[in-house]
Amino acid sequence: MEKPSFIALLAVYLIGFAPAAAGQEAGRDSIPTDVRVGIVYQPGFRPGIVVPAMAAAANLELVADSVRAIIRRDLDQGDRLQVMGVGEDLPLEGPINYQLWDELGAVWLLVGALEGTPDAPILRLSLNDVVFKLLQEVRAFDLPPLRHPEFRMAVHRASDRVVRWATGSMGIAATRIAYSQKTAGGSEIWAVDGDGFGARRLTGDGSIALSPAWSPSGGAIAYMSYLSGDPSIYVYDLATDRSELKIARPGLNMTPTYSIDGTQLLFAATIEGRTELYMYDLIEDCCPQRITFARFSNSLSPSFSPDGKRIAFNSDRLGQLHIFVKELGEGQAMLVTPYIYDRSVHNAGPEWSPSGDRIAFHGRVNGEPQVFTVAPNGSGLRQLTQRGRNEDPSWAPDGRHLVFSSTRSGSTGLWLLDVVSGRIRSLIRSRAVSLPDWSGRLDSQFYSADGEVADSNGQNP
Amino acid sequence: MARKSKKTLVGWFGALIVTFAISACGSSQPPPEPEPEPEPVAQEEPDDSAAREAEERRRREAEERRRAEAERRRVMEVLAERVHFEFDKSDIRGDAEPVLQRKITVLREYSDIEIRIAGNCDERGSVEYNLALGQRRAEAVRRYMMSYGLAPSRFTTISYGEERPLDTAHSERAWQRNRRADFSVTDAGSLGSSD
Repeated sequence: MEKPSFIALLAVYLIGFAPAAAGQEAGRDSIPTDVRVGIVYQPGFRPGIVVPAMAAAANLELVADSVRAIIRRDLDQGDRLQVMGVGEDLPLEGPINYQLWDELGAVWLLVGALEGTPDAPILRLSLNDVVFKLLQEVRAFDLPPLRHPEFRMAVHRASDRVVRWATGSMGIAATRIAYSQKTAGGSEIWAVDGDGFGARRLTGDGSIALSPAWSPSGGAIAYMSYLSGDPSIYVYDLATDRSELKIARPGLNMTPTYSIDGTQLLFAATIEGRTELYMYDLIEDCCPQRITFARFSNSLSPSFSPDGKRIAFNSDRLGQLHIFVKELGEGQAMLVTPYIYDRSVHNAGPEWSPSGDRIAFHGRVNGEPQVFTVAPNGSGLRQLTQRGRNEDPSWAPDGRHLVFSSTRSGSTGLWLLDVVSGRIRSLIRSRAVSLPDWSGRLDSQFYSADGEVADSNGQNP
Repeated sequence: MARKSKKTLVGWFGALIVTFAISACGSSQPPPEPEPEPEPVAQEEPDDSAAREAEERRRREAEERRRAEAERRRVMEVLAERVHFEFDKSDIRGDAEPVLQRKITVLREYSDIEIRIAGNCDERGSVEYNLALGQRRAEAVRRYMMSYGLAPSRFTTISYGEERPLDTAHSERAWQRNRRADFSVTDAGSLGSSD
């Protein structure tokens, strides 16, 4: 058993590092030589998983191929498992030959089959533990038809389950990323699936739309728009495809974020010529209540801690732009990012990680913004990017992946970074995009991830 | 003053000429005179040549329109002139003061004009912070105007952050142009609209 896992490690090493060693583009960021801070990526062992071709009747073969391709991609991009290309041609009939898979270096074997009809396919997945030679988990997932707009998301949910069975942590495939994209005269809010598919424009305000923020359920996006002429906060409802004006105080209303329970919006607004944070009650639909009290300076871009008791936000109250953390209620604002005397410090766009232990933001290094993370008590500052302008990081629900806008490829796009391994990949290329916000895990409105196997004769219109 | 005596002599018709004179000489400090509204009916003796008088009236009206348009343009130009800012600052620069002083003069002259001040930034700061910075710039301009006694209610402010650059280049020159306050007239008052 030791030998195969060594081989697996070697395979991980070869597959993972060979392209970077060969000097190819965009494998991972180089280990920085920056004195002040540095990236410390653990190489991390990714257990190998094999996903052989899925059994399917002739009329479901297309579905089976799509499902397998999506799952393999999801597992790879989740960065927790190493998708292996071995044993593609091995027959799967009969009892599973654990010994053989073990020798090939696999730790997990995911066997899939498509049943039902093309109108209502059922995906049956079983995850086998090759090392301990046992069936780890088996489950059936109802899928929409192949061409259904929710098809990919339904498969992503299955992928996320597989990651959970194998690692104990839920995957992040069933997520979307909202962002602002420039138009001829302004910008609109867009959203794209976590794997880069299905990018679509959500708003059609014909104005300037910025700072999208997902509701915790994923059913709505709060954002700022100049639709009415003045910058106000709107909520876009994904089910109805409509935007509703929520907050229009005099002056700026900007940088909205949902509370953890989704009942409140925290945002920044103008008072006496500067910007302060306010809380808006979405249930009562009223009563903005002031949260920050800093004279002669601005507070903006808030983000909740996962327990909902604290906020991270941006403020220039010390004359430099810094990240602060504050208990809701009476708490004092605590400086998180290091104050550097006599320097132009510009730390902005904080977002508290869903796991609570880090705050991501961007700070200026040699005039260019770079992505950093820091612990909420100000310790352990780490610079995660080096090349180009890298701005406005947002966490995936797993608390280890970040999306940010970057010019690293020469033009602006959105990129995803695995903070643990340092692996970077492109999400949106060559578009004037900014201010990405990663959703939480998206539950289907039509196809429940927890759904039992439905009647396979059921018709889905 | 020669102007005054002339006015008393010739009445409203003279006032018309006076305003010509004022607008022609660029008007450093015109006394706050009421805008003369020419009454088209019942002025001089109704002569036989009604056609000639109609012609004369048309000519005068056209002249009046031209005058009003020139004055309107002058006021709009003064009000539209931009002011610029230092990087990451909202203080009123020395070179912005004469620009704002010209606006203050015009706004005193036309006490019913209302304007909107729009703060803008260069692309270097964070998108969200620049919105706040733009607002601060607009507010700084408003406060400056108010400190010269103009009513706060005549100004509204807005910030476009870095979303409306005048120059999309990534150079010091472009950034300098983009760090600015724009002015637009939201209510032209007695000055009226362009047509």
